[in-house]
Order: sequence, then C-alpha cells, then structure tokens
Amino acid sequence: MSGVEGSDVVARPEAGVDPRPRQGGAARASKAAFRLRFLSVLVLFVLVFVFFSVTKSSFFTSSDIDALLTGASILWMVSIGLTFVMLAGGFDLSLGSLLALAGIALGHLMVGSGVPFGFAIAITLLFGLALGAGVNGVLIGKMGLPFLVVTLGTLTLYGGLVDLWSKSATTEILNPSLTALAFNHALGVPIPVWIMIGVFLAALYLQRSTYFGRDVYAVGGSADAARLSGVRVSRTLIAVYGIAGLLAALAGVLQDARIGAASPLVGSTVIFDAAAAVLLGGTSFAGGIGGVGGTAIGVLFLATLQQGLSVSGVQDYWQQIITGAILVVVVLLDRIQREGLASIGIRPRSHGARSKPEIRASSSPSP
Amino acid sequence: MSEAVLRAVGVHKRYGGVRALRGVDFELRGGAIHGLVGENGSGKSTLLRILSGQLAPDAGEVLLSGMPVRFGDAAQAMQAGIATVTQETTLVLGLSVAENIFLGPRKERRWYGIDWRKTRSRARAILERLELDLDPDRPVAELRPDQQQMVEIARALSMNARVVILDEPTSSLSDDEVNALFSAVRALRREGVATAFVSHRLSEVFDLVDAVTVLRDGSVVGSGPIGKYDRESLIGEMIGRALEHLDLGRHEHVSTNPVLRVRDFSVPGRVEGIDLAVERGEIVGLAGLVGAGRSGLLEGLFGLHPTAGGTIEIDGKPAACRDPVSAMRLGLGYVPADRKTLGLVQDMTVRENLLMAHTARTWRLRRPSAAREQRLVEEAIGNLGIVVESPNAPVARLSGGNQQKVVLAKWLANNPKVLLLDEPTRGVDVGAKAEIYRLLNEIKETGVGILVSSSETPELRLLCDRILVMYRGRVAASFTRAEATEAQITRYAVGHA
Repeated sequence: MSGVEGSDVVARPEAGVDPRPRQGGAARASKAAFRLRFLSVLVLFVLVFVFFSVTKSSFFTSSDIDALLTGASILWMVSIGLTFVMLAGGFDLSLGSLLALAGIALGHLMVGSGVPFGFAIAITLLFGLALGAGVNGVLIGKMGLPFLVVTLGTLTLYGGLVDLWSKSATTEILNPSLTALAFNHALGVPIPVWIMIGVFLAALYLQRSTYFGRDVYAVGGSADAARLSGVRVSRTLIAVYGIAGLLAALAGVLQDARIGAASPLVGSTVIFDAAAAVLLGGTSFAGGIGGVGGTAIGVLFLATLQQGLSVSGVQDYWQQIITGAILVVVVLLDRIQREGLASIGIRPRSHGARSKPEIRASSSPSP
Repeated sequence: MSEAVLRAVGVHKRYGGVRALRGVDFELRGGAIHGLVGENGSGKSTLLRILSGQLAPDAGEVLLSGMPVRFGDAAQAMQAGIATVTQETTLVLGLSVAENIFLGPRKERRWYGIDWRKTRSRARAILERLELDLDPDRPVAELRPDQQQMVEIARALSMNARVVILDEPTSSLSDDEVNALFSAVRALRREGVATAFVSHRLSEVFDLVDAVTVLRDGSVVGSGPIGKYDRESLIGEMIGRALEHLDLGRHEHVSTNPVLRVRDFSVPGRVEGIDLAVERGEIVGLAGLVGAGRSGLLEGLFGLHPTAGGTIEIDGKPAACRDPVSAMRLGLGYVPADRKTLGLVQDMTVRENLLMAHTARTWRLRRPSAAREQRLVEEAIGNLGIVVESPNAPVARLSGGNQQKVVLAKWLANNPKVLLLDEPTRGVDVGAKAEIYRLLNEIKETGVGILVSSSETPELRLLCDRILVMYRGRVAASFTRAEATEAQITRYAVGHA
C-alpha cells in the first residue's frame, strides 16, 4: 500500500483539490431547512387560522371556509405548476399572462364559436399545455436560453395577445355548466375544492412516485450530473413548463367560471403570490429541494391570512405589507438557521489588517 | 546575478496527514529566471503558494531582501512586490489593457476624475518596456491567452514587482504564443526582476531558465545552474524514487477482439488523431500532464462534444455516441473527474443516485418498485463495500471514497461494456484508493474494458495492463505494463520523444 500512499502524499495539493475532501453537510442541511421552513409555515398557518377563528366569530363558519378555499383555487393551480418549474431549477414569469390568455381563449370558444362546454375546456387546457411546453419549454429546455429572459418575453407577449384578442374588453359567458363549475357542490364540498384535491394528489403522485418526479429533482439539483447519468434534461424541462402551462390554463378556466366572463384584466399579479406560496412552502429557488406539499401549505397560509385580515377590516395594502414581510423573514430565518449569521453578512470584525486600497509602488517589505 | 531577493528557508507544510513540503530551501535572485521542476505532486504548487503569500508555512520562513515576511493573502504579497501569474488570469475581461494594468485605484487622477490620457501613456510605457505590441485600449477579452498573461506581467511590472512567479503559464499555449511570452519574461530579467518559472515541458525550461531546482516528494533533490543538467539527468532527478508494488494478481486476461476500438478520433481543440483499443477485461491507462487531452478524449467518447470526429466501434460494431444517452445505450459508462458536481446529484439520496443511470430508459410515468430498488441498492452497497447508514441518506453525507463508489455502482447497475474513468481517485483518502483499485480489478475480471485517466503515474502503473501517454492532444507513446517505467512515462508526457 505504501507505494500508492507515496504518490498520494503530495498529489492532492497539486491537483488543486481541497486536502480535506469531506464537505458533507450541504444537502443534509438544505433538506433539513426545507423541512424546517415547511414546519414553521405549517405552524404559522395553524396559528393564524386559530387566531382568526377565535377573534372573529364570523371567520370560522363553513361557508367562509368554502369561500376561502374556492378563492384560493386559482392561486393553488398556478403555485403547483410553478413548484415543478422551480424544483427543476427554473422560474416562469409568464404564468399570469398565460392564465388570462387561456381565459380569453375559453370565452372565444364558448361564446364566439359555440363549442360545447366540455370540449371547450379540453381545448383550453391543451392550449395552455402546448404554449407552456412548446414555447417556454422548448426555448429553455431544448435551446438552452435563460429562463428569466424567455419567460419575461412570453409574459409580455401573451399579455399583448390577450389585449389583441379580447380587444381589451370583458366578454360575458352565460353558461350554466361553467357557473356550476365555480359554485356548485358535490357531496357537500364545492366543485373547485374537488378539483384542487385532484390536482394536488396527481401532482404529489407525479412528484413522489414516478421516475419523472426523480428527473425533476435531479435536473434541479445538478442538470449536468443528471445529463451525464442519462437523464433527458431537455424533455424534463419541456415537461415541467408544460405542466405549469396546463395548470395556468386550468386556473384561467376557474377564473372565467368565478366571474362568469372572460376578462383581459385577470392574472397580472398572481405570479407574485404564487412565488411567495412556493417559497414559503420550502421549495428552493435554486431547484432540487422542496415539493408540492409545502406549496399547498403556503397557499393555504396566504389565503387564510388575507381572508382573516379582510374580515378584520384591515386595508388591502396592509395585507400586502404583511405578506411580503413574512416571506422575507421566513427566508431570512431559515438561512440563518442553516448557515449561521455570517452567511447574511453579519460577522464580528476580527479581520483587522485588511490591506489599504492605496497600493503604492514603494514595495517596502512588511516584516 | 545579484543577491537573493526572495528566500525560503527550511519550509515545512502538511495537509492533514499529508506532508507536502519537508524542509525546503529555495532562493530567487534578481535578474535571473529560476526553474522549478518536479512531478505532479512533488510540492511545487505548495511551495509557490507559500512564496506568494497564499499559504502560511508550518515551519521555516520566507525572507524578502533578508527580512522575514508573513503575508495574510496574495494582495499583501503583491504590495510587497511579489506577483504571481498562472494560466488562470485575474484580469477583468470586459476592461481594456490599460484599465487592467492599473486596476483599481492606481489610475492617474486629476481633480475632475481619472486622467485617461496619462493612464494610457503610462500603460504604453510599461508595454514598451516588455517589448509588447499591444493597444492599451483593446478589451482584454479580445486578446489571446498568452497576451492576457503578458498583461498580467505588465501589471506586476507597473507595481514595481521585484519577484514574479510564473506557475505553469504555458500549459494552454501554442508554440508561437510560448515564444512571445518568453520574450516578455526575458524583458523582466533585464529589468532586474527575480523570476520563478514552473513548467512540465522540459524543453521550455531549458530554453528559458538560468538555474533550476528539482523537487521530489516535498524535498529539494537537486539544484544548480541549468548548464549542469541535460534532459536525462533532469528527468532522472525528478522521478528517482523506488516504488513498492501492490500486487493485484494476474494481468493476462486479454482477448483478441477489443470491446472498444477508436480510430482517428478527434475533438476540435482538445484531441486529434487518436487510435486506441481496449480489450475485454483490460485496463488501459491514460497518462499525461494536465491539459494533455485526457479528459477531452473521455468526454468525447461519451458523446459530450458534438463536434467530435472519427470512428468508434464497440464490440466490433460501429457506434455513434452523439450524447450521453446514446453512449449509455451502447454500453459505455463515464465517471467524471468532478465527482461533486458532475458525478452525483448531491441533494439526492444514495438510492436515487445509484439507480439514476439504470432507470434512465424506463417509461417516466412508471412508479419505481420500492422492493426491487431496495434489493438492487443493497446488493450494490454490499458488493462495493459502500459505508452508508441507509440507502435513503443524502449522498452528500458520504466521504469522498464512498461517493466515488456510488458513482461506480451507478454504472455497474447498467451492465456496461466499457467504463471511462477520469481521475477516479481524486480527492479520495488512501485507504479508499486501495479499495477502488481492488474494485476496478474485480470489474475488469468480469470482462468489462476500462479506460482510466490519471495524473498520478504510480497509480496507473499499479492498475493498468497498458498505458498510453498523451501529449498535447495526441497519443505520444504506448507501453505494456512491463515496459511502463516511471522514467519512460514522464519522458513522453513532457514531450521528449
């Protein structure tokens, strides 16, 4: 063995490799942090829920719970779609525009062309899937363009198409089936809630119990390593943007159903709430860590907070301020928990003798 | 020649249990170029990093003009007049030559701001001292690599550096570029600067230096004016060590139809004209310096370079490795040198990493069978002796050696015909290295062909049935296990045909 040892002795510093190769804890820490953030938001959610139930007698009635859940259905869909994209290490700014565009498409199909209800919905959903996968997915996954630039472009592009196609006007959709989709109950539970449960379970299955789900985590964790192991990175990315597009279109359908019309004004801010919900749920911006379970809690927390605050008569802008502050604080806390105070730039100054900026050419040796 | 400007006296350095330097004395004189040679791992880089203030020695001291110095970092060393130039430049690519020479607050100023005219003319004066024909206004990004290094030398000169350390500046340069760089270095010598020069290419050392010091295993084994040496005696001093053998058993398991045959293979800019064959149950080693094209060849074979040309045959059948997926399908497995970011997905579990290649072709919406996976993973963990608390532990929690075993297991689960390994024992401790050697030997016994690249010659001699030596993108020599002496390999690796 000693011959080998001899070669090893001095090879390492030369090869530029850290002589102490054990740099273990990164993944463990981040997984733990995910669980931590998930749990802290879950606890926060329960606290907020209990608080409003106790302080506001009008909050905890079953009809208000129904309203809370169905009100959250649109955010729910967009957030779950966005979770897949973020797990794969990307982001999709265009989902709000896509939601509006799908809503307009549904209006045209049902009012303008008179396509039967079920058929119109199916076409709308496929339309969202095709735009997500075929435009964002192909440009980002296949051609390797940066996701922020691509989805910023499609955000604006789809927004323009919405106005062009709707002539900036809201079209009323008078269809009993569509109204039923938003407001009827089945087995005592509102239809949108059934859809939310269905989508959530499907997403959870996809994420946890299929090879596709593993691919998503692998691509988000390290796209290069995944590719070298034979994972089809392009296809995976196309698929996640497709899923996000499909769910944004579903959100567009629910939006039309709720207001009984196809409006060009919807969806413009939903992406910010969705990003907040996903991040609150513990999914990492860098990809590879998190999941739809956390996102569900994140959405419910935001919805409860907003509902509770508005029942309490708090102004709209206060809701925004509180939501934003909570997001920042939660992300900050879990960073501190994970990497210590130093990681956010707060450290005791022990590094006294920093070299002064004026590098004079006098070159006197400093003894 | 004048007196010593920079001296190291009795310098010791250890990394954990590894002794990188064992009492080294070294000195640089003004107006002289001093060569520092030694094999990969002889301690050259450690010594240079101590001289340039990036590392503190455990014992011994560094004297600058006779005064002991201890620098906190490279910036302090730079202030004291010691500049380092490596193949990785520290230039800001978007800025001009003049801006880079006077980077930061060193530009000429006036009450209204930076005096660009004066800054430019000072830059031009320095470039002239180095006899460089460079426009001070050109963005550095447009320059060739050698010109970029010269800008870095110019910066050192502008700060009145008295010592310039050139750490393998030529390893990525062409011959013409090397000559241009050398004339700048000779200009430094005329300016009275003390220069240290490290290169693996001995012809360059003989071209340029006035004196040379040979390091081996962290000690100085020879030093003197370059006229004292010829190529043979220099190589002799670099490698003169006795090696014990770890006997891995018989090595005659060779068939006659190779499992991998490569003809006239090239990856533009990396390798060209490669012909090689790997027999079933044979380990073929790739020796050569860093940058000789070993990694480029392995990446090309695994389909990572779409511009690769030439023919590949696997099991006698023509094979087109266009991308990793097709290479895998053809029976190749690839262990990259960078285990942390390319070999494994650190956020995922041992089980997920281990099965990633094996399940890469399954229908994606299928549900993984927990029982079957558990069996496969436990089998692999047992066979390869991976130390892990649970298959569901994050792979990042494993030690380097165990992580590398997971990478190997990932490919073994795929029943490969050929394994391509790039530096399989880098960053792995000594005990784990021996285990990896044993594993590779077992894998080979099952009839897999293995092509392994390593910058550690003793490792290749221990492991391989045949060794190919690469030099500047080509196979310079081929040795059987018996012929492959350390001296022979080093000779061809440094381009001495």
